[in-house]
Amino acid sequence: MTHPHLPRQAFIHGAIAILPLSLAVAPWGLLAGSMAIEANLTPLEGQGLSAIVFAGAAQLVAIGMLKGGANLFSIILTTLLLTSQHLLYGLSMRPVISDLPARWRLGLGFLLTDEFFALTSQYDKQQFNRWYALGVGLTFYVAWNLFTLAGIVLGQNIPHLDKLGLDFSIVATFVALIAPLVRNLPTVVCVAVSLFSSVLFSFWHWETALVLAGLLGMSAGFICQKLSGGRA
Amino acid sequence: MMFLLIVGMGLVVFLNRYAFLEPRLPLRLSSNARQFLGFAVPGMLTAICGPIIFMPEHQLDLNPANPYLLGSLVAVVLVLLTRNTLISMLLSMVFFFVFRWWLNGAA
Repeated sequence: MTHPHLPRQAFIHGAIAILPLSLAVAPWGLLAGSMAIEANLTPLEGQGLSAIVFAGAAQLVAIGMLKGGANLFSIILTTLLLTSQHLLYGLSMRPVISDLPARWRLGLGFLLTDEFFALTSQYDKQQFNRWYALGVGLTFYVAWNLFTLAGIVLGQNIPHLDKLGLDFSIVATFVALIAPLVRNLPTVVCVAVSLFSSVLFSFWHWETALVLAGLLGMSAGFICQKLSGGRA
Repeated sequence: MMFLLIVGMGLVVFLNRYAFLEPRLPLRLSSNARQFLGFAVPGMLTAICGPIIFMPEHQLDLNPANPYLLGSLVAVVLVLLTRNTLISMLLSMVFFFVFRWWLNGAA
């Protein structure tokens, strides 16, 4: 897909491209907002998590840990480990973003979520459009914060929103993104290894379960690709 | 305390996101590294889904009637048939919530 060169058009294209994922994140955002209220955070603190941290999984885990009485240091350390997949995203986007001016690097860096990465990572240096990426990232940021706000409001009125299975929305989204990518043996191996080890490591309560499982799956896929003759 | 926690978490997440975007970090990606990173989307997104699907409420659930598992399978089939991400997400969510509601009603 080629992108128009006009900044405004590219921005709008990005915003439209992320719209389905922004809507699909609604239940997950509701969960983040309502769980903050249930853990006795003030509405401002609940919103602050989404506005400043902007990482759904880390927010939900932090709230869970707060409820369990964990201290500040252990929550921040867990956040560091739990969001370490973003290091990989940064590494992967390095060729297209690291040459941009500082304000673009910092801005796009702040907006670099799983969903942002899923949508913008396939472009090379010629195809990558910073305005398109900004449209993707900012739209998702606004949506995430609006749904968090909705969750805060609902959480104050409806109890036990966390028992509704709202976290399935993130599974539905990611599965719909991954399945079409699984077209060759290396990717099948990657997904299978990643799936198995993520469940196993979580079962063992490893805090680094997700990133380790992801790395293992990626390595398995990479090795498989090398063995099958380096076909891309 | 809460404010400090939110800012601290924000900094840590931003650090993870920004670290490798910094051009002063001396690093060049080899072709092997690029191929490896090509597996980042399927590898990482799958790892995020795994525990949610198979360990709802932090308990291992390998029962085929696990709504998360069935819902995911429905999403896979739908997206392969329709090639439409949005429709597949929405319909599999509808399936998930209806199935859960039916399970809870039957219990």
